[in-house]
Order: sequence, then C-alpha cells, then structure tokens
Amino acid sequence: MVSLLRNQKVRNALLQVLYVGSIAAMVLAGIVIARRNLADQGITSGFDFLFKSTGWDVNFSLLPATANDPYWWYFLIGIINTLFLGSVGLILATIVGTIVGLARTSSNDLARLLGRTYVDIFRNIPLILQVFFWYAIITHLPTPRSAHEAWGFLLTSRGLYIPFPNVGSAAFAAATVAVIAAIVLPAWLGRTSLLAQPIGQRRTIQFAAAAAALACATIILALGRLPDTPLLDFPALQGLNLRGGLRIPPEFATLAIAIAIYGGSYIAEIVRGGFKSVGTGQVEAALSLGLSPWRVFTLVRLPLALRAMLPILANQYVWLMKATTMGIAVGFTDFFMIVALTINHSGQTLEAIGILMAGFLAINLSLAAVFNRINKAIALKGNQLRG
Amino acid sequence: MEMVIVAPPAPGRLEDLRRRFFATPLQAVVSLACLTIMVFLVWKLLNWAVFSAVFTTSGGPEACQATAGACWSVIAARWRIIFFGLYPYEEQWRSALACVAVVVMTVLSCIPAFWTGRRIALVWGAGTGLFYVLMKGGVLGLAHVGEEAWGGLALTLFIFVTTCLIGFPLAICLALLRRSELPWISRTTGLIIDGVRSLPLISILFTFAVVLPFALPQWLQGDKLYRVILGSALFFSAYQAEIVRGGMQGVATGQEEAAMALGMRYWQRISRILLPQAMRNAMPATINQFVISFKETSLVVIVGFFEILASGNAAYGTGEWRFAYVEVYAFIAFIYFIFVFSLSRYGAFLERRMSVSER
Amino acid sequence: MISTNSTGEPALRIENLDKYYGTFQALRGINLSVQRGEKIVVCGPSGSGKSTMIRCINRLEQHNGGRIAVLGTELNDDVGNIDEIRREVGMVFQHFNLFPHMTVLENCMISPMIVRKQPRAQAEATARHYLEKVRIPEQAMKYPSQLSGGQQQRVAIARALCMQPQIMLFDEPTSALDPEMVSEVLDVMVTLASEGMTMICVTHEMGFARRVADRVLFMDGGEILEEAPPDEFFTSSRNERTRQFVSQVLGH
Repeated sequence: MVSLLRNQKVRNALLQVLYVGSIAAMVLAGIVIARRNLADQGITSGFDFLFKSTGWDVNFSLLPATANDPYWWYFLIGIINTLFLGSVGLILATIVGTIVGLARTSSNDLARLLGRTYVDIFRNIPLILQVFFWYAIITHLPTPRSAHEAWGFLLTSRGLYIPFPNVGSAAFAAATVAVIAAIVLPAWLGRTSLLAQPIGQRRTIQFAAAAAALACATIILALGRLPDTPLLDFPALQGLNLRGGLRIPPEFATLAIAIAIYGGSYIAEIVRGGFKSVGTGQVEAALSLGLSPWRVFTLVRLPLALRAMLPILANQYVWLMKATTMGIAVGFTDFFMIVALTINHSGQTLEAIGILMAGFLAINLSLAAVFNRINKAIALKGNQLRG
Repeated sequence: MEMVIVAPPAPGRLEDLRRRFFATPLQAVVSLACLTIMVFLVWKLLNWAVFSAVFTTSGGPEACQATAGACWSVIAARWRIIFFGLYPYEEQWRSALACVAVVVMTVLSCIPAFWTGRRIALVWGAGTGLFYVLMKGGVLGLAHVGEEAWGGLALTLFIFVTTCLIGFPLAICLALLRRSELPWISRTTGLIIDGVRSLPLISILFTFAVVLPFALPQWLQGDKLYRVILGSALFFSAYQAEIVRGGMQGVATGQEEAAMALGMRYWQRISRILLPQAMRNAMPATINQFVISFKETSLVVIVGFFEILASGNAAYGTGEWRFAYVEVYAFIAFIYFIFVFSLSRYGAFLERRMSVSER
Repeated sequence: MISTNSTGEPALRIENLDKYYGTFQALRGINLSVQRGEKIVVCGPSGSGKSTMIRCINRLEQHNGGRIAVLGTELNDDVGNIDEIRREVGMVFQHFNLFPHMTVLENCMISPMIVRKQPRAQAEATARHYLEKVRIPEQAMKYPSQLSGGQQQRVAIARALCMQPQIMLFDEPTSALDPEMVSEVLDVMVTLASEGMTMICVTHEMGFARRVADRVLFMDGGEILEEAPPDEFFTSSRNERTRQFVSQVLGH
C-alpha cells in the first residue's frame, strides 16, 4: 500500500480523482440540500414555473410586458434590457473615452491636463457611488411642471423627455436596423468582395451601399409614420403630466450616464495606450513621405493603434456589460434584477441562479466571439500590409 | 586662439508660451477652448465648494439653504455616522484606531523590504488581528461589539482586507492548480476560474448572501457578513489567479528544471523558486487588482451592509439634511479617491521602476 | 584507463531506452553503461537526442521504454527513487538557470539546506568551499545578474557540487558563453574530472573531449552511432557520419 502511494502514476490518478470528486461532491451536496430545504417551503424544483405568469411588473421594457406574462418572457425582457443598456453605455463610453483619450495623447499641454484630470477623478471613484450620485441628481430635478427645457428636451425628476419621430415601434426597429446596416455595410464591403477593385470604384460602391441603406431607413420611417401627426413629437406639459416625446426613465438615464463616464475613463486609458504603442518611427516615416498630419493620423496612427487596443477594449466591453447589474441599486429591471425578483416572488432559487449563470455565460461568449472575429479581420489586414 | 561663444538670444516667456500653445491656428483654438473649460470648471467648483459654502454647524440646515454653495455642515454634523456607522458612540475611537491599523499595514506592505512571503503574511496577520480585536473587543477590557454594529469606513476596510487575506492564498492555489500537469485538475480549475470571471460580482455577492444558506447545512451557514466576504474573496481570487499565472509564465522553465535537478520537491520548488519570482513579475497587475477590488467592496451595499456608501446614504437620508446629498457623496468620493488614487499611483511608480530595472 | 573492468554496480546503466514526443521518436534503443569515475563526452548534431538522453537520467524527461538505473537505483514511477537519484546527480545547464532572486551564496546553500537538511553554518561552509574551488569566492554576496556568463556558469557548477553528487551531468555548458569565457568554465571542469568525478558531458568542445574523456559518444537521429576512446574517435572513426561531423567541428 505504501509503495503504491509512492508510485507517481498512482499518485497522479488518485490526486485527480480526489480533486474532481470532492468538488463534484460539494456541488451535488449543495444542490441536494437546497432542494430539500426548498421542498420544505413547498417549492418544487423544476422549470415548470417558467410558464406561469409572474404577477409583478417591470418598470422598463422594450417588449410589451404585463403582469400576466410568463417568467420566460420576463427573462427575455431582462436579457434584452441588459443588452440594450449595455450597448448604449458602451457606445457612449466609447465616445467619451475616445475624446478624452485623444486629449491625453494630444500635443497640447492644456488638453492633456484636462484629459488626465478627467481620468484621475472618474477612474478612482467606485462606479456604484457614481450611480448613486447621478441618481440623486436626476431624481432631485424639478417636477414636470417646472422642468428645465432646452431645444425640445425636458429634464425632470420623472425622466428625460426627448423629441421622437411619430412612427410605430416595428417601423422604428426596422429603421434602426437599416441605419446600423448603413454603418456596417460599407466597412464589410471594403473588407471582402471589393479588394480586387481599384480604390476609386471601391469608394463609390461603399458610398452607394451606405446611401441605399439610409434611403431604406427613411422610407421605412415615412411609411411607418402614424397617420395625422407631425413628423417629430415634442414633449409638452398637459395638466400635471408630460405628454408626447420619448421618456427616458431616470433609472436608465442614470445608469447610461454613469457607465459612460466611468467606462469612458477606462477606455480613455486604453486609447492612450494604443496610440502610445505606435512607434514614433512609423509616424516619422509617414511624415517624411509627405503625408499631411491628418492623413498620417487616419492612415498610420489610427489603424495601428486600433489593432493594439482591440483585445483590451474587448475585455473592457465585457466588463461594462456586466456593470449593468448595478441596475438593482436604482431599480432598473436588468437581467440580474429580474432574476433577483424571480427568487423573491417564486422561490425557484436554484433554477433562477442557473438561468442567471447561463445568461451571462451566453452574453460573454457571444461578445468574445464578435471581438475574435473583428480581431482576426484586423490581423488579416496587417498581414496583407506586410505581404 | 580664443573661442567666443555667442549664446542664441534666450526665448522670452511670451515667445515660449506662444510656441507651446499658439503655434498654429488649430493649436490656438484648442488651447483657448481648454483654458475656457478649465477656468469655468475651477471657478464653479471653487465658488461652490469654498467661497459660497457653509462650513459650520452653528446655523443648522437652514443656514445652508440660504446659500447656493456647498453645505459642508452636513459633514461636520454627520461625519461620525459616515466613518463609524452604528458603532457605539463611546467606542468609536476603537473603530478609528482600527482604520489607522489597516492604513499602516497597507503602507508597510508597499515597502520592498517586506516583500517576502513570511514578512508580508506577518504584517497582514498582525494588522488584521489588531483590527479585529479593536473592533470586536471582548478582551483586554474592551467592551464587546458584534459585527452587526460595525459600519462605515471600518466595515469597508474590513471587507477589503479580509477579501484580500482569503483571496490571495486562494488565488495562488488556483493558479497552481490551473497550471498543473494533471489534465483533470487543470481543466476543472480552469472551468471554475472562467466561470467565476464570467459572472458579475453583484450576482456572486447576492448568491452568497441570499442563496447559499439554502444549499448549506445549518452548522455551516455562518454569519451573512462572512459569507459575503467569502464570495468577494472567491471573485477576487479568480481574477488574481490569472494574474499570478501570468507571473508564473514569465519565469523561465529552466528555473524549475534547475530546482528539480537539485532534488527539490514540488512544494520546495514552488515556494522557494517559482512563487518569489512570479509574484515579483505580477506585482504591478496585482496592485491594480487591489485597486479594483477596493472599489468593488462598495457593492456590498446592495446586499444590505452598512458600509461607507450606505452610511453616507443614511447621513443625508434622514430628516433635516435631505437636500445635502451632493456634499455627502462628494465627501465619500473624496475618501475613496485618497485610497484608490494613492494606491494606483504607487502601482504606476512600481511598474515604471520595474521596466527600468529590466533594461 | 580502461573503462569496463571495474567491479560492482556501474554508476549508470541504460538499456534499450526509448523516448517519444507525441509520435516523434527522440531516442531509439539507447544502451549505455558508465562506471564510477568515468568521463563520457556526448556529441552530435543538434536535434540528435543527446540533451534528451541526459535529461532522462535525472527525470527532467520521462522515458517511454527501456530501463535506467542510477547508482543501482532503478528510475521508475517510484517517487522516492526519483528524489534519491536527483539528490545524487548534479546537473549544469546551457543557460545556467541560476535563481535570480538569490545571491550566489544563497543559490549554493538553498538545496543542501532544504533537501539535505543541513544546518545553515555547514551549508555555508560547503558553499564557500566550492565557490573557492570554482575560483569566485569574492562574488558570494552578488546576485547572478551582476556576474558575467562565465562566472555564472561556474556558480552553477558550484551550486550543483554543493549537493555533493556522485554523478555530474553537463548539458552544453559552454554553448551560451562568449568565446573568451569558455576556457574558464572548461578549466573548472577539467579540475573536477581530475578529482575523479563521474561526468557525462554533452559538448562540442573537442579539445576538452581529447583531454578528459574516457569515451566519446556520437549520437544522431536518436541513436548512439559510435562509441570510442577519444584518440580513436577523432582519427580513425569507422562511421561515415561521425567522420563528417568531426571534420565539421574541427574544421574551423
């Protein structure tokens, strides 16, 4: 027996079995105990509850939602809310981060100082504190009666009201897709099928594609316009309440602002790092070829910096997506809050936690997949440049 | 022969300024825009925070409402609840002392002389022990104060320190298991690490605070505070494990081979050869992780703890100071800023120093 | 000196040794017996398996077939045997592999202290003795990065000797060195050889082989193609590949 334990192969096998076995045993024991405890409270395990109606409301949803809807529908709403808030926050954060990051790499001392101050302040204060802060600010805005108004925008404690086209929701969604296509299509075309064409023709085709997509969007909006209404619907006070326009609830606005500002400070650093990684040699080489500073920027510095940034940026985006779970601090019904509410109301603890894990795993994996593809596309371009 | 060196005329102050900020029209526009923004912001901030601000409590909340500036009297009136939460009034000196102990401990562990496994463990063990004894009492004539009465800055620091104290060794274990040559061990560990990393911290805290009691036998459940600390430590260790693993990958394979050839056993190789070098490689990233996890302790407010953010909410949330939320948040933000900023500056300094010494 | 007439257990006995990396066979049926006090030089083109062979002797690589016995102890899956063999076999690497976070003295002391459980004073005395022997006693308190390559390699030899091994393995100890530092390392190795240490050296230093070796082995394609005393090896080799290799190495 002792000599058997001294055998390396036996030892290795034993260690592996012990390790995996004890972890599996702990997980299984947890599940068994939890099932028994829940059964004592009259909760039967299983996923049947997904088809029961919830009996409670969500305060934000892009899909129609009532208290009669089943749980699975609510989970879907939650995921879509998370993705929506995440995407808005992500886009805003990227814009903020790019501006601040460029300021930080600028040759102007004042711009650098300004950028650095921004990063130092907002990076070093916890996100949740910033969320609380902005929520307090927004909920302390004046009531609709005495709202701040500017260019048709209204700031009130009940949310931000913005002018909105008078169109049906399906038409609006279709138009959004068309606008996204107008941005993505030229880039995609430039990457794949057109490489053989001379550059002037390529530009024309890309431009035509973008124009066609935008035209589609306009037509969809025109067709989907609600009868007998003006093109844009401005919010206005009617009685004690505001009518018209689009209301952005304070919770959503808070989170989008907080994620944009906090995430922006991180993205600014990534942008700065990306530009710093571009060697001065390459820039000097481009300048010595007689390219204008602007062309040096768009043709040399930006593409090289983007390649350096992308992997880190991908991690940051995944992080920002997960940061939407701060929603629970202000009562925004993101995916996590829906799960928490489900546990509260239905008691289906194990199932809900399982769905939570699966949901975030799916979000992470799909984001990672998207970024891997972009990364690969860019890396390919790099090879072509070299070859 | 004598050489006469004629210095070029020194550029005047104005000339220097012109070159730096107004070299081209575009530069000039950018400079002016930045200057305007800066002056505007600084003036607004100073005006709000200093010139029109109320600092004393003598006038009470009413004095504040008369001015457009900051109402720092809320801090003067409520600083105790922000720092100490619900800790008994007469014992609050202990809470303050405990915070000082943690700060001293952190500063000590930034000094390279303490960077051996034994010394750092000693400093952290002693610091945390001192903190715990001071806060909890029940010995040395100190009155007993249960964890449920802890709050404010002290609770934030406690959660942070214990998270690191549990999470750090756990991270090293996870990193070692993940790089194990035994496929089932490394795969299972990889699954755990990647699984935890793919989840948001809030969901882990929530699971440990609310869900875990269902899945544990009665005698294992423990206090909610310690369950949450465990969850936060698990999250910390999943991230830190990858940092440690990165540090290990930076150690040449020849190092372990040399140790093997000298007859060292697994643990001897790990503790004497691999880890000391790996931890040094991983130092800047580790400090960065500490910074992040310090900021993230604030999330425990969501599972219902009275740490500094929650006590801040309480400081303005009740009664007469309801309007003074900006001041309270600014104050708490400032406290976080001091801790986080100095730590991250230190990390940046270390990174620069290490990249210089590599050359 | 004749190498095959000593009595008792040989220092090293290798029989039919096979080693695979995946499907690639790095060693094919190696047979080798080394007596106590014998000095073997192994040469051959890169990728011929010579490093792999000596790395099998102290289990830095695990062999897939055949048998290895070191000092009468069978090298198998028994953890105790592996530990025992590693304690008795010292190794010097191409890239020195000194521990950069320890001083020269600590490099030499650590293993005797934690593996052989020697008291600190004794370990330090031994370390200083061997540092003297490799002629760098004055560098004891420096860190490896402060030394030249030749000095580092001598420290590495001292470090291995501090464990008082019965066999020393050298894996191309001079190939990472600047040319002017090669001789200082070889001098130490020659001294060591003259004191009767059992040595197996993978090296291309043919002058060293001539002066020290009892036998020279030529390996190619994972096999030992030739095995002869140095005079015979360099002058009247029977094997075509060996002659070619020797002329290339000696040619410049």
